[in-house]
Amino acid sequence: MAFPTLLAFLLSLLLSFSPTLSTNNEGNALHALRSRLSDHTNVLQSWDPTLVNPCTWFHITCDSNNHVIRLDLGNSNISGSLGPELGELKKLQYLELYNNQIRGKIPKELGNLKNLISMDLYGNRFEGKIPKSFAKLKSITFLRLNNNKLTGSIPRELTTLSNLKVFDVSNNDLCGTIPVNGPFGSFPMESNIINVETRRGKVLTIRVLNCDIATHIFDMNVSIGNANIGVKRSMYFCTLPL
Amino acid sequence: MGTTHVLHLILLFSVLSSVHVVTHGDNSTDSYWLLRIKSLLSDPVGVLENWSPKAKFCTWNGLTCSDDQTHVVGLNLSGSGLSGLISAEFSRLTSLQTLDLSMNSLSGSVPHELGQLQNLRELLLYSNLLSGNVPPELGLLKKLQVLRIGDNSLTGQVPRDIGDLTELRVLGLAYCQLNGTIPAEIGNLKQLKSLDLQKNSLGGLIPREISGCEELQNFAASNNMLEGEVPASMGNLKSLQILNLANNSLSGSIPMDLGRLFNLKYLNLLGNRLNGEVPVELNQLNQLEKLDLSRNNLSGSINLFATQLTNLQVLVLSDNFLTGNIPSNLCNGNSNLWQLFVARNKLSGKFPLDLLNCSSLQELDLSDNEFEGELPSKLDKLENLTDLLLNNNSFSGNLPPEIGNMSHLETLFMFHNMITGEMPVEIGKLQRLTVLYLYDNQMYGSIPVELTNCSSLTEIDFFGNQFSGSIPQTIGKLKNLVFLQLRQNDLSGPIPPSLGYCIKLQKLVLADNKLSGSIPLTFRFLSELFLITLYNNSFSGPLPETLSLLKNLRIINFSHNRFTGSISPLSCSSNLTVLDLTNNTFSGPIPSSLSLSKHLTRLRLAHNLLTETIPPEFGNLTELNFLDLSFNNLTGEVTPDLSNCKKLSHLLLNDNQISGTIPSWLGTLQELGELDLSSNSFHGKAPPEIGNCSRLLKLALHGNNLFGEIPSEIGSLTSLNVLTLHKNNFSGLIPSTIQQCEKLYELRLSENLLTGSIPSELGKLTELQVILDLSKNFLSGEIPFSLGNLMKLERLNLSFNRLHGSVPLSLGTLTSLLMLNLSNNHLQGQIPSTFSRFPLSSFLSNGRLCGPPLAPCLGPEKKPLSNTAAAGVIVAIVFASTLICLGLLYVMLRIWCNWKKVSVLSSDAGHEQRREEEKWVYGEAMGRDFEYWKVNSSQVKQQISTACIFQLKVDTETVDHSFQF
Repeated sequence: MAFPTLLAFLLSLLLSFSPTLSTNNEGNALHALRSRLSDHTNVLQSWDPTLVNPCTWFHITCDSNNHVIRLDLGNSNISGSLGPELGELKKLQYLELYNNQIRGKIPKELGNLKNLISMDLYGNRFEGKIPKSFAKLKSITFLRLNNNKLTGSIPRELTTLSNLKVFDVSNNDLCGTIPVNGPFGSFPMESNIINVETRRGKVLTIRVLNCDIATHIFDMNVSIGNANIGVKRSMYFCTLPL
Repeated sequence: MGTTHVLHLILLFSVLSSVHVVTHGDNSTDSYWLLRIKSLLSDPVGVLENWSPKAKFCTWNGLTCSDDQTHVVGLNLSGSGLSGLISAEFSRLTSLQTLDLSMNSLSGSVPHELGQLQNLRELLLYSNLLSGNVPPELGLLKKLQVLRIGDNSLTGQVPRDIGDLTELRVLGLAYCQLNGTIPAEIGNLKQLKSLDLQKNSLGGLIPREISGCEELQNFAASNNMLEGEVPASMGNLKSLQILNLANNSLSGSIPMDLGRLFNLKYLNLLGNRLNGEVPVELNQLNQLEKLDLSRNNLSGSINLFATQLTNLQVLVLSDNFLTGNIPSNLCNGNSNLWQLFVARNKLSGKFPLDLLNCSSLQELDLSDNEFEGELPSKLDKLENLTDLLLNNNSFSGNLPPEIGNMSHLETLFMFHNMITGEMPVEIGKLQRLTVLYLYDNQMYGSIPVELTNCSSLTEIDFFGNQFSGSIPQTIGKLKNLVFLQLRQNDLSGPIPPSLGYCIKLQKLVLADNKLSGSIPLTFRFLSELFLITLYNNSFSGPLPETLSLLKNLRIINFSHNRFTGSISPLSCSSNLTVLDLTNNTFSGPIPSSLSLSKHLTRLRLAHNLLTETIPPEFGNLTELNFLDLSFNNLTGEVTPDLSNCKKLSHLLLNDNQISGTIPSWLGTLQELGELDLSSNSFHGKAPPEIGNCSRLLKLALHGNNLFGEIPSEIGSLTSLNVLTLHKNNFSGLIPSTIQQCEKLYELRLSENLLTGSIPSELGKLTELQVILDLSKNFLSGEIPFSLGNLMKLERLNLSFNRLHGSVPLSLGTLTSLLMLNLSNNHLQGQIPSTFSRFPLSSFLSNGRLCGPPLAPCLGPEKKPLSNTAAAGVIVAIVFASTLICLGLLYVMLRIWCNWKKVSVLSSDAGHEQRREEEKWVYGEAMGRDFEYWKVNSSQVKQQISTACIFQLKVDTETVDHSFQF
């Protein structure tokens, strides 16, 4: 058995490595993504990993240097999960995966996308926490994670995202305090940062899940007491744990 | 049909002749029955020719008679080329002890009457075409010792009655389609030595009772669907030498009881779902020669030692979750281990130095683990090694020069590590080396000319290193080279002409280097070549005419070089599937001979200087999927023959001088996903048929002379992401059907002659993101309130139209808006307060717009302000004038200290899309301070003054608030 096994093994190695010459990182990353996704309507049919780069694949947009800058798979009826390899798309500006049935955690490696302007993961079934690594998304302007099943709190680290303009985490199972520094200080209260509909100056009642609020309980009472004036920048959106 | 008739005739004839025999024969003799048996057999080789009443039957081929010459006791017709059926009348040969009909082409079923052969000791029917069940009646053969009926098409279950064959030594049922379970009664076979059930569809558990087969030496049940645990009771099978349970669905851990099988030589459990650790008890198996536990879920560290397993030759543990390193005392000088495969585990640590004691090793595979550190210089102690696979680890440091002493080495896989340094010249000593994969490392320096001494080399892959200098001039010495990949290095200089003498070369990949010069004339000898990629180099000059001799070429990619002249030398292979010559300076017409390659799927000739028309012969390219001829100087009309290319998914003809109307047959291209005809000279109307291309994702028709209405059929393009119709002469209304293009993220209709009002249905395009550009038309009416639904929109340009009325408050909620231009309309009234973040120029040349950043809305014609608000306004004005003074001061300071910053800042804003045409109106892009404004140095003054006003506005708003509460 041994020799045929080896032979088969070597053969499979040769077959798997020699003909696919186009070992390009971004194409590989996207191909790995494809292998994690169930593509019920064949939107990924054109994703041929043997091509030199993924720039002619549908739903991919490249810049003039053949780096992927857009991934458009919104409303594409795909399910499955994301993996760390998406972090290889170093030049990606638009990650549009909204309104699908993608599950699992948001890979922390997405934080490596230094050029990302827009991350639209809304309308999926993502769970787990918002990765702290998102603090590295120095260019991020639009971050929409609403309508998922995310838990935990909004990472404090996100306050360093100086370009952040739209931050939507509504309709998740988040809890904890809303950061007040950095871009969060400037969000108008109408914006959808909070789990339920909100009006200016109102403190909200929200489901508490995996909540890490112990140190803020008293502050929260204060803010409830002064809900209308002055404290809109220090809102807490956890109720007392029941 | 004919052959069956002939067969029938033969059959009839033999039946007749046997009837003749019957009339003269005696139905109590074996010869009578043998002739009847013969009558059901087809004997093309003539083995049964002397089976005739004329000869004494004991002389007949294959027969063994009893001592008294009256009865057949043995019949051996193995491998006699017989076909036909096994007669039920074999049962009449009551003295038969051995029946061997193996390795024929017998069909039909195993007759259950064989169960009457009470004297039968051996029944061999294996390797035929028998079908049907294993007859339970075989259980009646009390004297049967050998039953081998495998390699047939038998179905059904293994009959329990097999358990009655108490004399059975050998049971072979492999390679059939048996299902059900292994009957527990098998444990009754106390004499059984060999049990072979491989390659069936047996499921269920391995019966515990198997431990009853005390004499069992060989148990093979691989390639079934057995599940559950390996029964610990198997540890009682003391005589077992071979145990093969590979490729089942066995789970649980490997029972340590297997460690009691002291006679075991071969243990194969590969391809199951076994978990837990490899039991250390297996080290007691000192007869073991081959052990394969690969493709399971085993974890923990490797606890097997060839020092104890002194006879171990082959150890395969690949594809598990094993951790730790290779045990340090795996081998000593006396070990016999010659194959060690531990690929695709989670093994870590440095290259195990003690492994160098395994001097008998011939094949070592440590690939796809987490090994790190340098390779030992004494690697050459493994002097017998032929295959060394270390790929996909994190090995670092140099490739040790001692590797040149491993004179048996044939395969060296080092790819995907972090190997640095230069390639040792000693590698040239490896005369047997055939495959050298070093790709994806960080090796540098030049490729040593000594490498070309490795005359056995067939495959070289150095992709993704930093090799520099030129390709060795003597590369032509590698006469056996089939595959050469040097892609993505820093190689320079020309291709050595001697490469043309590597006449076995099939794949040549030199892309992504700094190679220059022209293609050597010697390439005409590379007649086996089917793939050549030279993209991203600096090759120049015209292509040698003799490239036309390379008839096997299938894949060519010369893109991004500086080749000149005609592309016709590449159009002579009729086997092309991919031709990519993008971004060169090829000139002349597109050769029609390209259409000889019927299997061409991708043709990319963009960014060249090609002229004349698209050849009509391209209509023959029915497999064509990707056609990119953009950015050339093509003229004429689009040939209607292209309508035959039904598989086209990308059709890019933009930036040429193509004329005529946009053909309506485009609507028949159902696979079309991207259609770009922009920047040509197309005229006439846009064909409504385009609405049939339901898979279209991008439709670009901009920059032509199209006129008439935008066809309402555009609404059928429900997958569309990008629609650009700008810079044409489209007139009439924007079709409201466009609302059905729900996936649009970019819509440009600017610079046309569109009239009417903006359809409120545009508000349904909630995925609009990159831009909605309706500027420079003749649109009138009010801005629809519904545009406030475009929550993701980043750029909105409605400028240079005839819009009137007020700006709907809903637009103020467009939180994603980065750029806004409403200028040059007839808008009036207060703009939404959130628009204060946009510069003045967003609103210029309108009727009477007001509110920050414009002048405040005063005057009684607006809704009257409350007293407090009025007071607020007054205070604000006072406050504002003070601030203006302060602001001016501030501005002067800023101008003074910001002049130098400007250039830095504009490059800082690198994530903004920089389109020339979009210089207009950037809003307050990011945050409240002004440091991130995209600033053109010529506009600095204006920007800063806007900034001042903006700041003023912030402050007035604050004041406003304090009054409200």
